[in-house]
Amino acid sequence: MRGTFRLEQMAFLTALGLLAWFLVTFLIMPLITTFYTAFFDSGSLRIGEITEDLSRSRRVKQALLNTAWMTIATTFTVGLVGIFQVAALEYFHVRGRSFLKVAFAVPLVFGSVVAATGYKFTYGPSGIVTQILQGIVPDLPSDWFIGGHGVLYSQTFLLTSFYYLFLRAAMRRVDYSTVEAARSMGASEIHILRRVVLPVIMPTLFAVMLLTIYTSTVSFAVPEIIGGRDFTMISQIILVLNALNRPDMAAFLALFLGFFILSIIVLMQWIEARGSYIGGAKTPVPIELKRIKNPAANVAFHGVTYLLAFIYVLPVALVVAFSFAPAASIGTEVFPSSFTLSNYIRVLSGGAAFEPFFNSMRMGLLAVLLGLSATLFAVPIMVKHKNWMTRALDIGFFLPWVVPSVLLAIGLILTFDTPNLMVGRAVLLGSFIILPIGYAINALPLMVRFLRAAFMGIDPSYDEAARSMGAGGLYRFRRVTMPLVAPTALLAGGYTFNEMLTEYPLSAFLYNVNNRPLSIAILDSDKSTDPEQAAITLVYAVLVMAFSLVVVLSAERLSLGKGPKTNNV
Amino acid sequence: MTKVFSLAAALLGTVSMAQAEALTIYSPQGEDNVAWIEAQAEAAGHDVDFLRAGGGELFSRLEAEKNNPQADVVLGLNDIAMARLKAQGMFQAHVPTWADGLPASYSDADGVVHKFWQTPIVIAYNPDRIAADAAPSGWLDLTKDAYAQNYVLGPTKWGTTQVILAGILVQFADENGTVSDDGWDFMADLYGNSVLVSSGDEKIAALSSGEAAIDLNWFGGAFREAGKSGYDPVLVNPENGTPIVAEGIAVMAGTDQADAAKAFVDWFGSVEVMAAYATEFGQMPSHPDAIAAAPAEVQAKAQLVSAQAIDWDLVAANLDGWLQKIELEIK
Repeated sequence: MRGTFRLEQMAFLTALGLLAWFLVTFLIMPLITTFYTAFFDSGSLRIGEITEDLSRSRRVKQALLNTAWMTIATTFTVGLVGIFQVAALEYFHVRGRSFLKVAFAVPLVFGSVVAATGYKFTYGPSGIVTQILQGIVPDLPSDWFIGGHGVLYSQTFLLTSFYYLFLRAAMRRVDYSTVEAARSMGASEIHILRRVVLPVIMPTLFAVMLLTIYTSTVSFAVPEIIGGRDFTMISQIILVLNALNRPDMAAFLALFLGFFILSIIVLMQWIEARGSYIGGAKTPVPIELKRIKNPAANVAFHGVTYLLAFIYVLPVALVVAFSFAPAASIGTEVFPSSFTLSNYIRVLSGGAAFEPFFNSMRMGLLAVLLGLSATLFAVPIMVKHKNWMTRALDIGFFLPWVVPSVLLAIGLILTFDTPNLMVGRAVLLGSFIILPIGYAINALPLMVRFLRAAFMGIDPSYDEAARSMGAGGLYRFRRVTMPLVAPTALLAGGYTFNEMLTEYPLSAFLYNVNNRPLSIAILDSDKSTDPEQAAITLVYAVLVMAFSLVVVLSAERLSLGKGPKTNNV
Repeated sequence: MTKVFSLAAALLGTVSMAQAEALTIYSPQGEDNVAWIEAQAEAAGHDVDFLRAGGGELFSRLEAEKNNPQADVVLGLNDIAMARLKAQGMFQAHVPTWADGLPASYSDADGVVHKFWQTPIVIAYNPDRIAADAAPSGWLDLTKDAYAQNYVLGPTKWGTTQVILAGILVQFADENGTVSDDGWDFMADLYGNSVLVSSGDEKIAALSSGEAAIDLNWFGGAFREAGKSGYDPVLVNPENGTPIVAEGIAVMAGTDQADAAKAFVDWFGSVEVMAAYATEFGQMPSHPDAIAAAPAEVQAKAQLVSAQAIDWDLVAANLDGWLQKIELEIK
């Protein structure tokens, strides 16, 4: 008995050591190295030199400016569209609500590289919309969509998922009895919206706006694909600086980005903390959808709603349809006239076209395994004990959320481009493993958030019952706790896997010959004018979307993302 | 740590084993060229696996992988890149069997890098769109209004683009590599006037659609791209000369298959293979014997342009700074 206890304790300490090693080596050290590279050169402070170099660069200044105006504009347009969607789904009576719900949910499965190529496929130089428009306006240049405005347009419809998920949930917390009370006292509809509805949803509205700012600031794949020659954003310029042998400048800009993101997140936490004061009813009376009385206004509202739905569905519909079309019809037909499975056969039959897909699947799986083994071990400890160690772990796990991927990537490059003692003097840059490690680090905050909720939800009497019957710690974890958290762990793994399938920022910096991932393959073939390549990209996109759909639907079934803990991402 | 690596090993086992058998060759050659070399090499009993990418991109990759090399052989990077990689100690010495009779400018006193092809970097125009008397007479003509948005410039990560830019900048540089303000003004105009492309496909699209009529390219590439775009190119013979670069081959210091790698280098640079390659792709070998065995038209093409004297050491020492300025302040 005592022997097994000893062994278990040894195993526990070893695992704890491994976890600490993992976080220190792949998260803390890269950040410190980046900091050092940005500010020091062999011991002496040299910040003036870098800022001078950066401020002389027209392109860097332009990228900063572009990122600023794009973020402001995106926050505004996404807010407009997002609030309109919530109004159409949760406040006003609109026909075909279940169809609209599906249409507006498109960004949940259509994101990152896939969505950007989808928008380019629709509106870009050989896009269907461009072909139609050129039929009307023959002078229209074929690259009319490419540039900052195209990025803004795409982001406007791609970043509304925060509103869809969180603002709608907040809207459901509005107690309809308060609306009716106001109405019975003769308040105008505008007044009700402003003074009754808005205060309840205000904290969430702020939070989703900040999330939009966050996402747009670190935007990478969309400007890379749609921005064209003259529109570059800050993440892209960091990649350029890295390629130009200026890791110091890249590190400096990445840190700058990191601090900006950090301040956004601090602001968000503050709002979240304040938001809890505005309680609302525990069991709100559901809102009765309001019919718009003025027929003209009603028709106009329906018109705008369905136009919006059309914009959401169009790129996805075209991507799916053309993925089943012969390659020759891409860019020549408005809608495919014949269908074939040959594109799918080409990708799935295991040739060169399958390789990036296979690479991404392997790396995603590896990241999930790494992330889950770290968090499944750490989260129960963090839930049970509150001391400096678990607090440190908490911060460690939270950190990747604050650190933009680009900063993490620069850190990993700077830390592992020479033999590193922490990994047995190996050089990880150029190896297969560095990318999945980066993915795993990236996934930690989400996993912790999911698993924490799951572990906290376990009734402690299960554990006590097992303990009173003499079950050991490991046995209890395996037979009592694990089955209870397994669905959540599976889901967190699924989310991570899904995200890593098209992860772009880390991939762009860290990929190499042995692990060229799907996102890079999609981007490369997007630059190619070969229709065969375009067909393969479409198949990739459809496969990724199908997988995302499975994950999102399973999440819905497990009704995750509805509890208060996961409400703000 | 062991956990991580055993996990990794389990997942990766199959792939790394498969890769250990074939030689990994990094090369910036075109897709067709690589396919041909691969086929010929396999026929001659060499098991090779090519990684193709732009010259500049391959160079950065090799530098990044300096401490963990993935390649066994580097084939076809230009003078600048090979000199810089050699200076970093990334190659091992191997004097190939064909080094005998190779002119001094193409061989290496240290026996490390040997050049097998010479490639002029040319201005090639489409005669269907530009009359002979309206064509640019040299690189410095390109900023004239007549050629605005009429020539194609590739990304700076391409080796060819680097040589084009270096060939222009050395004309404005002092002995320390400091480029005059006139030089940078010219560079700004050169970029402002150009059709900037980011891929070979994009370039062909611009040339075949008639969006641009002038190609700035390496010798063989100019003919290849023109062929794909449907015209017969005319080469300009600039008064200041044409930069001629030579492409080198070397065995990586970190290779675990040194013997196979050396055997491949010996085979690849041999007169027979070079002559066959010249026949297939119209490229000029550097070895006199191979030139003699090459088709007459290749020999004739060699007379089309005259060489510009370029101090490659000066270029190699300053290229990073020049490219940074172009990428960050000019482009």
